[in-house]
Amino acid sequence: MSVTRRQIVAAAVGAAAARAGPARAEATGADGLERLLALEHRLESAYRAALDRGVIDPALGQSLSGQEREHVRGVEVALETLGRRPSRPRVRPPRRAALAGRPAFARFALELETETVAGYVELLAGLDAPGLLQPLGSIMTSGAQHQVALRRVLAQPLLAPGG
Amino acid sequence: MLALASCGGDDPPPGGKPPAGSGAGLLNSIVALEHASVAAWAAIAAALSGKARSQAKAIRRRELQHVERVSALVRDLGGSPPEGRPTREYAPMFPNLPNAADALHFARDLEERLIRTYLDALRSLPESRQRRAAAEIAAEEAQDLAVVQLLSGEPASTKAFVTGTS
Repeated sequence: MSVTRRQIVAAAVGAAAARAGPARAEATGADGLERLLALEHRLESAYRAALDRGVIDPALGQSLSGQEREHVRGVEVALETLGRRPSRPRVRPPRRAALAGRPAFARFALELETETVAGYVELLAGLDAPGLLQPLGSIMTSGAQHQVALRRVLAQPLLAPGG
Repeated sequence: MLALASCGGDDPPPGGKPPAGSGAGLLNSIVALEHASVAAWAAIAAALSGKARSQAKAIRRRELQHVERVSALVRDLGGSPPEGRPTREYAPMFPNLPNAADALHFARDLEERLIRTYLDALRSLPESRQRRAAAEIAAEEAQDLAVVQLLSGEPASTKAFVTGTS
């Protein structure tokens, strides 16, 4: 992501938060965001590893990896809005089996994307920071589209029930 | 987009028992929009063929589930969700769909509006379970949009922030 693009992301999330006034640094909200930040880092790292190993279509891998980088930055800005300094979590590399081939990686990534989307739903249901709901929701919806892209790789029904 | 502006989501919410601030008015507006979406997806499916038509029918079934889910939230508040109108009443609100490209263009507009509606609703719905439903449905609408993009020959996911605005 270019500096300009990063600035745009930060401005979008920050401006939304500013419109809502000072958000309460609610522990549960910030903790939930920390968990999501760790998941977004894992996804970004996983797509990069898959690109390095050649177990994802390059165009798809580049696109999803780039979007995950933007999600990381968006969640970091949201955390800062809640008064918490984002930490750089220790990212676990994907298991070796997850990088054994394209189907194996797609299954691994789909599982991780599904966990992440569910995490956003949980957070959005309870977060007491109105200005952050729409920006974080727009990251969740992007993750939901990643699920469809990965199901396509796996030749699964694109619209699986329950996520 | 002109046609979508009169799909039903802008209908005034019908009168009901729930108090102001309960979320019932907004939820009723969403039910009306979802009823229109069910009719719209039937029209879109009719303009498509083969696998694309099957996907359109699957999306229509999901919109029906959304009608049920949001209607249940209204009933939980003691309200009466709006009923769907006869299909012939929706038809004049939709653009002509003479071919698959026009149908997919309409589908994209429709799904973007639905995503925008649910994301906006997150800020206004007062109860956690209402926001949870809005978030889950927003994710499903984004998946529907991803399918539309695939059917249009594009990647499923093109943006890091899917807001429902092109």
